[in-house]
Amino acid sequence: MREQVLRRVREALRGRPRVPHPGALDTAAPDAPAPVEHFADCFRAAGGEVHRFADADAARGWLHGFAARFESVSHGAGVPASLALPVPEAPPRHAALGVSVARAAAAQSGSLVLSSRDGRRTQLLPPAHVVLVDAATVAATLGEALAACRGDGGSALALHSGPSKSADIGQVMVTGVHGPGRVTAVLLDDWPGP
Amino acid sequence: MEIRSREYPKRAREGGDVRASVTGATLTFDAHRRAAYAGVAAEEWRRWAEGVKTHLLTHLDRYLEEAEERLEANGARVHWAGSQEDVHRILSGIIKRRGARRAVKGKSMLSEELEVNGLLEKRGVDVLETDLGEYILQLLEQPPSHIVGPAIHLSLDEIRRLYHETHGTEPDATPDELAAVSRVILREAFLAADLGITGGNFLVAETGTVALIENEGNIRLTTSAPPVHVALVGIEKLLPRWSDLAVFLQLTARAATGQPVGNYVSMIHGPRTAEDPDGPEEVHVVLVDNGRSDVLADPEAWEALRCVRCGACLNACPVYRQTGGHAYGAVYSGPIGSVLNPGLAGLHAAMPLPFASSLCGACEEACPVRIPIPELLLSWRRRAVEAGMDSRAKAALLKAWTAVATRPGVYRAAGGVLHALPEPVRRVPLPVVGGWREVRADPEPSRTSFRELWREGIE
Repeated sequence: MREQVLRRVREALRGRPRVPHPGALDTAAPDAPAPVEHFADCFRAAGGEVHRFADADAARGWLHGFAARFESVSHGAGVPASLALPVPEAPPRHAALGVSVARAAAAQSGSLVLSSRDGRRTQLLPPAHVVLVDAATVAATLGEALAACRGDGGSALALHSGPSKSADIGQVMVTGVHGPGRVTAVLLDDWPGP
Repeated sequence: MEIRSREYPKRAREGGDVRASVTGATLTFDAHRRAAYAGVAAEEWRRWAEGVKTHLLTHLDRYLEEAEERLEANGARVHWAGSQEDVHRILSGIIKRRGARRAVKGKSMLSEELEVNGLLEKRGVDVLETDLGEYILQLLEQPPSHIVGPAIHLSLDEIRRLYHETHGTEPDATPDELAAVSRVILREAFLAADLGITGGNFLVAETGTVALIENEGNIRLTTSAPPVHVALVGIEKLLPRWSDLAVFLQLTARAATGQPVGNYVSMIHGPRTAEDPDGPEEVHVVLVDNGRSDVLADPEAWEALRCVRCGACLNACPVYRQTGGHAYGAVYSGPIGSVLNPGLAGLHAAMPLPFASSLCGACEEACPVRIPIPELLLSWRRRAVEAGMDSRAKAALLKAWTAVATRPGVYRAAGGVLHALPEPVRRVPLPVVGGWREVRADPEPSRTSFRELWREGIE
């Protein structure tokens, strides 16, 4: 079947002029704010929450206060020990809160780039999701963010750009349909070691 | 793909009950699309995207081979399907080998085209649609009516009634409550499924990556939770380079819903690796032709293969806004459906869809890859007339009109006759436009014809 499909495609293209690739498109806006601020604006506009701290020590107090409201947590594989939450660990399907680490982020589209290496169930199953972001990995454009992740190990990448939402029921916006209904990006200017 | 477009004129007129929902939803989508285009250099992005897709299509054989090679290097299994029967055979093989009994599905127009749910049921597999709109339609046993918002033809009250009858919710339940009920049922299904089936918005040849856009998270779960993921990808969905993907993701979302990017994007290179804590053990990518190579061979219609299935042309179309998608009687509705269906299923099967347009051009202006839809509609119309597929009465009428209009003497005489007709004769009831004329006064004919005015010199 492979040969049959390829032969049909080649026959279809016989005599058709070959058009060159137009090259890469730079989507950067010249007047855009600095990437971290721009990311925060776009992520909030899509319904996400954003907090920014200088380092792990500064973030810890807020994180622990936030986590105290949840009975259980599922930590992603890449969460640094210094940022782990003092809440009972549970498997992702039972955890009230998921904590992941972003591989990168894109300001222009307000996207967190998540890697399958951190654990997909933790990113998806708990109703609330905290994503820890190294501010140095926030790129201006989605193109730059994805370029940085090219050749990463792991079987998949994902963009999360706000809480799960749907307007399929009578065109009324509903959040938390399948994925987390609450998503919080926590940016650290100074990223701790593992 | 079964097409029931013959009944289009009748079904389009019967569409009154869906009009309020469809018109409201499409106007909202279209307003969001306009605002989103205005926020970026949309003209430049669209020209670029047209160029990339044209490059891809004119080198499609090479990129198909590259995609296969990369996917296999990533550990995915690649299947080639010339037809719907091939796809059914491939899926049956996977189901049998895995002993699959339960499947979850992400929204996929290609799976509708290939009648995948029917096959799964025949093979004894319980299949649940997991997109909220598709789930509702599965309960109603209806096909999707829009590429992006499959259930936009349903009002909140209709969905409330359905859930009241099928799930026992309160008759006045809120959308949040209805979504919560669905979430519980579908969450169980994700975790129990043997098989996750999706389409593919893009397949990047350079890296062997299937990309999927959505808002709910159901596709993320369909591709993450079950042990086997099968992605059905039309051969025209390829992109050459990894660096092309970021722009296409953003442009498609802006065109479809006006978002900067889909809320969730899954980019799948292959099955779970040793570095991954979870994910599917097997990833299958089925490269589907099913008529696409025939469209590619068509010197005009091949431009429609650039389509990224954003639905922007449906939202912009004054005809679609009135009728909704079901009237078209085909999986692909609206302007893009009217130019794709004749190529995929044959012009005869898709008649009279190329005529279901006023040729206003709004579809082409909205299209993120600049498909010249009005030109393609005209091309199919020309072929339909040449093949004698169009209505004989219309052909005879146009022939008579041509005979009059191309002979100045006859034309002048005919004008004189019409002018001299007494009022009651001019008001003779006409078919189709009767209702329209009822509330409008006919224009009073001028005492002197334009020709006479011209001769006298118009002031």
